Amino acid sequence: MVLQLIRLELLKSMRSTSFAKSALVAIFLAFLAIVLLAYVLLLGIVLKDVLEKVLESQDAYATLSGGLIYFFLFEFMYRYFTQQLPVIEMERFLHLPISKSKIIHFLLGRSFISPLTLIVPLLFGPFAIREVLPRFGDVAAISWIASVILTSWSLHWLMLWFKQKFEDSLMGIGIVFAVLLLGAGSNYLGWYNLGEILRPVFDWSLTSPLPVLIMLGVFVGMYQLAFMYYRSNAYLEDLTEEENIRFVNQELGFLSRFGLAGEFANLEWKLIIRHKKPRTYLMLAGFFLLYGLIFYTNPQYKTEEGFNHLFVFVGSFITGIFMLQYGQLFLSWNSANFDFFLQKREGVEALVMGKYLLFVVVSVLCLLASIPYAYFGWDILLIHVAAFFFNMGVVMHMVVYLSLWKPKPMDLNKGAMFNYEGVGIAQFLMIIPMMVAPYAIYLPFALIFSQYIGLVAMAIAGMAGIIAFKPLSKLSVKRVLNNRYEISSSFRQEI
Amino acid sequence: MIDIQGLKKQYKSTVVLDIPELFIPKSECFGLVGNNGAGKTTLFRIILDLVRATEGNVRIDEEDVSQTENWKWKVGAYLDEHMLLSYLTPDEYFEALRKIYRLSEDDLKLHLARFEELFNGEILGKKKYIRDLSKGNLKKVGIAAAMMGNPEVVMLDEPFENLDPSSQNRLKRLVLHEKENSQVTFLISSHDLNHVTDICDRIVLLEKGNVIKDIKEKAIMVDELNAYFGT
Repeated sequence: MVLQLIRLELLKSMRSTSFAKSALVAIFLAFLAIVLLAYVLLLGIVLKDVLEKVLESQDAYATLSGGLIYFFLFEFMYRYFTQQLPVIEMERFLHLPISKSKIIHFLLGRSFISPLTLIVPLLFGPFAIREVLPRFGDVAAISWIASVILTSWSLHWLMLWFKQKFEDSLMGIGIVFAVLLLGAGSNYLGWYNLGEILRPVFDWSLTSPLPVLIMLGVFVGMYQLAFMYYRSNAYLEDLTEEENIRFVNQELGFLSRFGLAGEFANLEWKLIIRHKKPRTYLMLAGFFLLYGLIFYTNPQYKTEEGFNHLFVFVGSFITGIFMLQYGQLFLSWNSANFDFFLQKREGVEALVMGKYLLFVVVSVLCLLASIPYAYFGWDILLIHVAAFFFNMGVVMHMVVYLSLWKPKPMDLNKGAMFNYEGVGIAQFLMIIPMMVAPYAIYLPFALIFSQYIGLVAMAIAGMAGIIAFKPLSKLSVKRVLNNRYEISSSFRQEI
Repeated sequence: MIDIQGLKKQYKSTVVLDIPELFIPKSECFGLVGNNGAGKTTLFRIILDLVRATEGNVRIDEEDVSQTENWKWKVGAYLDEHMLLSYLTPDEYFEALRKIYRLSEDDLKLHLARFEELFNGEILGKKKYIRDLSKGNLKKVGIAAAMMGNPEVVMLDEPFENLDPSSQNRLKRLVLHEKENSQVTFLISSHDLNHVTDICDRIVLLEKGNVIKDIKEKAIMVDELNAYFGT
């Protein structure tokens, strides 16, 4: 029976149209996963040296044990954002004469086969061999690594339960933020040292097998928790979450002033806040506003005069991230109802214009929200303004034009992280001109004259693009219209 | 009203639609029947310029549909869910359409009042997205949307499918009423021979992309179709 299920799973992924079409993307992703895991392993091997040399720690083991809790908080976060829920698969099995428990055991088990499971063994395994083994003996090393791995794997089941129960609710977001604050706040504010609280547990595992047994109990308990929750909620109505319509009912009323394009921009706004995937993209744009804090405050990037060239990149990211991310999949967002726009007079023009309008609005908001960065120097504000103009005038048109190269359909209700639906080669290659373009204008002027001239050049290039908005946007509209049959027939296919 | 000349649709070497000539005059109720895969939906899609014709063209009031867009004012259609904005509630969807068709709020009210019976109190004023509606209610929303903006042509693909028997009758009455009062041209494809012969003045039977019967006499419609389908 289980074999049969496994066979069905394999067939499903082999035969899905997106697999055949984007086999290259799949290979690329697999390659990426292997590379990332290899990096994790490499980091694991040199972890001892990193702790001793970079952090100048006398006792690598003590430092690591003290920091483990932060690692697990971090793991909680990345698991929250990347881990996929297996329930979506359940629908097609529920009506069959297979017991629910069996299905759920299978789905839970399958979710465990993931690169995330390997991160902790790869990261801390080598450390156990190089540091714990020589100092505390082989039994201690095995016991220590076992309890660390079991902690991580317990988080896997905990997260399956947590995400299913709280996903998309305010409660869930609240808890995630609380975890973030717990990690960040404890040491900075000096209230308590979180690391010291949990350290004895791992120290204890060096001398006693009890912590391993306890963690094993927790591991099994968490699995039971997830299993029981899924088991008792294995009904179709529970799988599809009821959204609270009140939260997502806001309109951007002022957009209506821009005619039909404005109306469509308004519809697009509703599309964004009512689907999981675009909502995450919008949230990311919010998070990326904080991106500057990493760079602008870092003394490593301080220069004698002027500013670091890298800041241009940071600036264009902060003011344009939504456009870059959302724009990548320009038409795929409307894949479920593209015929609606085709069937309306001037519908496609208005759709494309509405999207432009939305990009401009969000970018302006990002620019305004980033004004406080002026605290770190007026240069930064100048960079942001120049980058904003450049984004509006040049990058926006590039994103749209490139994204119209074979758009693919996608399901907007799946999560955004590691969801490569709708992503084709174009979306991967696109990022290159996006990163190069600002520098292609900025660098020559900055190196020959001065950095500020470089910024002015960027702004002027952007202005030129803004002035030429009409013909440039017509180009994109024309491209959609010329390819309308191909686009709409590919959107009508099953994903 | 609709003039089809030398229309051909080919996927690689298979011809899925081949209509040398077909004319649909104004205010006719045109029924399209045929087995699965006969090309009914493809024909509708080509008329709406959603699919490219391999050869030939479709003209609506002398306008080639693949060249211009003005005809879109005159044509309302509901083929499948791709034509709905499923992330809106029905009220929001009609409101969005109202703005697109530049109607006044009273126009919209009048329009929806005509569908009151068909909606049966289950569509409007409910806090439910279109994507969460049942298949029958989805269809009702689509049909009401297709008839918005006083179109001269309304195209419906399988309008009776998924509707309950009383809704099917209400829809029939609605179509007859529109045809009588506003001279609307209806293009309806259906597998339900009784309904389609009831409301349509003319039935065209498609088989593997070819028009094999074009019946304009009400009296013989039912018998001819029953003979073909073996029912």
